[in-house]
Amino acid sequence: MTGRATRAGALVVMNIAGAAAFAWPFLLPGLIGRGQGHEVDAPLIFAGLLMGLGGLLFIELGRTALGPKTVALIGVLGAAMVALRLPGFIGGFSAMFIVVLTAGSSFGPAFGFVLGAVGTFASGMFVGGIGPWLPFQMVAVGWVGLGAGLLPKGSWPVRVGSLAAYGAFAAFAFGAVMNLWFWPFAAASGPVAWSPGQGVAANVGRYLTFYAATSFAWDAFGAAGNALVVAVAGRPLLACLDRAARRMRLDARAYSPPQSVTMEAEPAG
Amino acid sequence: MRDAIAFDSVSFSYPGDGLRALDDVTATIEEGTFVLVCGATASGKSTLIRAINGLVPQFTGGAFSGRVTVCGRDTLSEKPSSLADVVSFVPQDPGSSFVLDTVEDEIAYGMENLGIPAATMRGSIEECLDLLDLDHLRASSVRSISGGERQRVAIAAALAPRPRVLLLDEPTSQLDPQAAEHVLAALQRLVHDLGLTVVIAEHRLERVAGYVDAALGCRRGKVLSGSPSAVLDELGVGPPVATLGRLLGWSPLPLTVREARRRAPALSPDARRTGASPRSEAQPLVAARALRAGYGSSEVLKGVDLGLVAGEIVALMGRNGSGKTTLLRCLTGLHAPRSGTVAAGEGAPVPGRSVALCPQTPEDILFRDRVDSEIETTLRANGCPERAGAWLEELGLAALAGRHPRDLSAGQRLLVAAAAVVATGARALLLDEPTRGLDPDAKRLLIELLRRYARGGRAVVFATHDVELAAELATRVVMLASGEIIADGGAKDILGDSPVFAPQMTRVFGAGWLTPGQVANALAHS
Amino acid sequence: MHPGGWLAWSACAGLAAVSTTNPFYLLPLAAGACAVHLARSTSSPGARLFRLFGATALVVIATRTLLVVLGPISAGSIVAASLEGLRVATLIMIYGAFNSVADPHSLLRLAPRRLHEPALAATLALTMAPRFIESAARVREAQRMRGIEVSALKAIPVLAVPLLETGMEQALTLAESMDARGHGRGPRSRYRPQPFGAWAWATVLVSALALVVVMAAGGAALTVVAFPLAWPTASPWLVAAFSAFAAPAFFPEGVPR
Repeated sequence: MTGRATRAGALVVMNIAGAAAFAWPFLLPGLIGRGQGHEVDAPLIFAGLLMGLGGLLFIELGRTALGPKTVALIGVLGAAMVALRLPGFIGGFSAMFIVVLTAGSSFGPAFGFVLGAVGTFASGMFVGGIGPWLPFQMVAVGWVGLGAGLLPKGSWPVRVGSLAAYGAFAAFAFGAVMNLWFWPFAAASGPVAWSPGQGVAANVGRYLTFYAATSFAWDAFGAAGNALVVAVAGRPLLACLDRAARRMRLDARAYSPPQSVTMEAEPAG
Repeated sequence: MRDAIAFDSVSFSYPGDGLRALDDVTATIEEGTFVLVCGATASGKSTLIRAINGLVPQFTGGAFSGRVTVCGRDTLSEKPSSLADVVSFVPQDPGSSFVLDTVEDEIAYGMENLGIPAATMRGSIEECLDLLDLDHLRASSVRSISGGERQRVAIAAALAPRPRVLLLDEPTSQLDPQAAEHVLAALQRLVHDLGLTVVIAEHRLERVAGYVDAALGCRRGKVLSGSPSAVLDELGVGPPVATLGRLLGWSPLPLTVREARRRAPALSPDARRTGASPRSEAQPLVAARALRAGYGSSEVLKGVDLGLVAGEIVALMGRNGSGKTTLLRCLTGLHAPRSGTVAAGEGAPVPGRSVALCPQTPEDILFRDRVDSEIETTLRANGCPERAGAWLEELGLAALAGRHPRDLSAGQRLLVAAAAVVATGARALLLDEPTRGLDPDAKRLLIELLRRYARGGRAVVFATHDVELAAELATRVVMLASGEIIADGGAKDILGDSPVFAPQMTRVFGAGWLTPGQVANALAHS
Repeated sequence: MHPGGWLAWSACAGLAAVSTTNPFYLLPLAAGACAVHLARSTSSPGARLFRLFGATALVVIATRTLLVVLGPISAGSIVAASLEGLRVATLIMIYGAFNSVADPHSLLRLAPRRLHEPALAATLALTMAPRFIESAARVREAQRMRGIEVSALKAIPVLAVPLLETGMEQALTLAESMDARGHGRGPRSRYRPQPFGAWAWATVLVSALALVVVMAAGGAALTVVAFPLAWPTASPWLVAAFSAFAAPAFFPEGVPR
């Protein structure tokens, strides 16, 4: 149990750090003080944060031994993500997210995070999408899986309903988060620009305008797609994944004769 | 000789299952022997194999008592991964157990895990590539090679770390006869040349019986050991020659055609020739005329004429690549012919409606949580008024109606898949290699189902390499060779004439004799 | 070439790109990326997608320029916006070239020991994806034989459930095989460590040197003054530095890895 608690604690620390990396355009001005001239430093700050984010992914993904069951499951589900990414996005919708949402719900938040990150990495490699955006994408998709694992389980309607609603929310959140990494260079001037001289509130406002103008409509597709597919196919898919989760994490059972052992299979996830 | 493997009063049950998969097993396997583990599905065969390297109980979980040692090491005091230096394991379907991309990397993977230095690895890999005749494939992707090659790559990968014990779970179940022979001969060479201990679980007994030195027979968790012929005799299973030996009270039981021939009384070879023409005047359910088809620039079918009459069960035989699968696909309407026609009743076949094709992997179509819901789904999609229950009753599957398809054995799943595809109301059912991976019991159930189906004024075509199945089930045999029909007639005539495709009884007694029952009957009357 | 060389190249070129908006610097850099793609592309899927990267780059420039309408429009604001678009577009081109020249499998082999398991999972995902696509086609066809067409949203489980079930079975087989083959047993060795060859070193050196020159020039020399709008100036040293990123395109082929 303590192992699990440490794991969860480390996951939280890691994700707060990750969040800081995404939010740097809002937080930095406040930290460094308000002044002009930070536009020039942006590339260096960006490089530093990218390395920081990469380092955090390195630590989080390499922290615990996953074991053969988890590696195999992530490989198989990651292959599904790669294959589903190939047809591309219909608007902001990609069936890739359905895998992360349902697997996160069945196998739990930690598994959801690793699957999101590794699956995104593999699909990035497969379709030739490696770039500075990849660490951001890995963490963002990881969060989608992590969040899905934290949702209430309850009865089927509650579980599927909350997952569908979360899927819609996650599409917007993912879009908003993924625009952040390049916002400071793509908009260094003008009314939607990152303006380190102004406060956090002003920058958030500018960013929301930028997001609404560039991506909102696009992400609305994703939100609708996620919610619809989860609502329609969520239950059979989750049932199938739950069965697998049970088979991979088997329960111990008492057995009477002397010098006997009861083994608990090494759990996945 | 020393014992490579020892079981000392081992009992085991899977988690959440009251049954003992292994029940007080005590047995030993000597070093440098080739041992067969046999028994029906769920008899404890694969549990026994997995207990040797600790996967049972460490990977599966469950309640375990007793002690298993492999090369003197206790399987409970070490993890399966740390036993990997003395014992290697090849799972049933190597295609889904490959980890890396190229043949060479896949062979190296296990050695990398053991931390073997790169220089040693090089030598070991070259040796394994030579031993299993894989050198020409070293840079190929493991996903692009044939089933037999894949099995050999899996064996090479298992051998590379130089283990002393090699475990294989049904290594030939997915292979055609030639590929199976190739693999088994390679294994036998390893036992003879390197003194390796090889343990294989297998139910294609006609293939392996001639190669092994000893056998362990599993029945409901109990294990008996002895010579192959004694164990098979005790279990009441075996290749057709063994069945015949049992019917005639021979002891020891013959396991190969050669052994049977020495004991066999003479029977007039052509006494039972039918001589009847398979051509029938009845209106065919499905008919192909001057059918030519292919993919890209290669022509696979070169003018095939074939008519299927109600009540017929046709075995379609021929080498890999002779066009069997393409012919089946054309007959269902899934593949468009280049020229010639396929007619099902009034017009061209509508995929599924007039001619059904049973999927090779039944798991491909099963998505509901009850067997009868699967049938219901097909019935409803096709607007059939029939009830699922009645349909299952007709095919003899009523007992499975309320089960979850995923909880069934591989054989039962195939039956359900077949029932689900023919619930469209199709008058003909086509199957491609239906007995691949099936044990004898499952095979018997399939034979039963196909006979019941054909009896209702319908027809069956199955492509197969399994000559014993063809001998037992087919009313007619069609031989394909490079896209043309080279022989078409009654099973007795066609199978008797072919040296390659002759069933064991024909090999022992000559043309006309197909099944042990038929021979025993004739001998009783003479 | 060792993919480490390409990693260093793309990191340095990317940093150089985001540090300027001057078209006299950005355009040679983008051209260098194209040259690298043309000269060194492999058979990886990334190579076929280079055009897509190009198209994306153009879309980025256009979108960014159009965003000007959200504020006061002037010649200066339009130029500044399109140059910012060009900066991101160049970054995209650099990574388009990187994806085109670096082989995913050899990149994954670079994974540090600590990341062996996630990298292995990613390798599995990469190699099993084509098989997954084949299975999907097979399931679709098999269901069609039952008269069930997989087209409507409602029919997703018809396709997805068999695929997922088969996948889960496969994961179990795979895990068992990995366990039996010594996965996670202890320190691993490597069968084919890729040597870091002379040309990989040359690439690292040239890229690092060019980046140092760019960084040393400082922010002011790299920024275009748009308010008031002025014709950008270019220093020949900096143009040379930005052009140097094209160098790997001219390294001989077939050099020892």
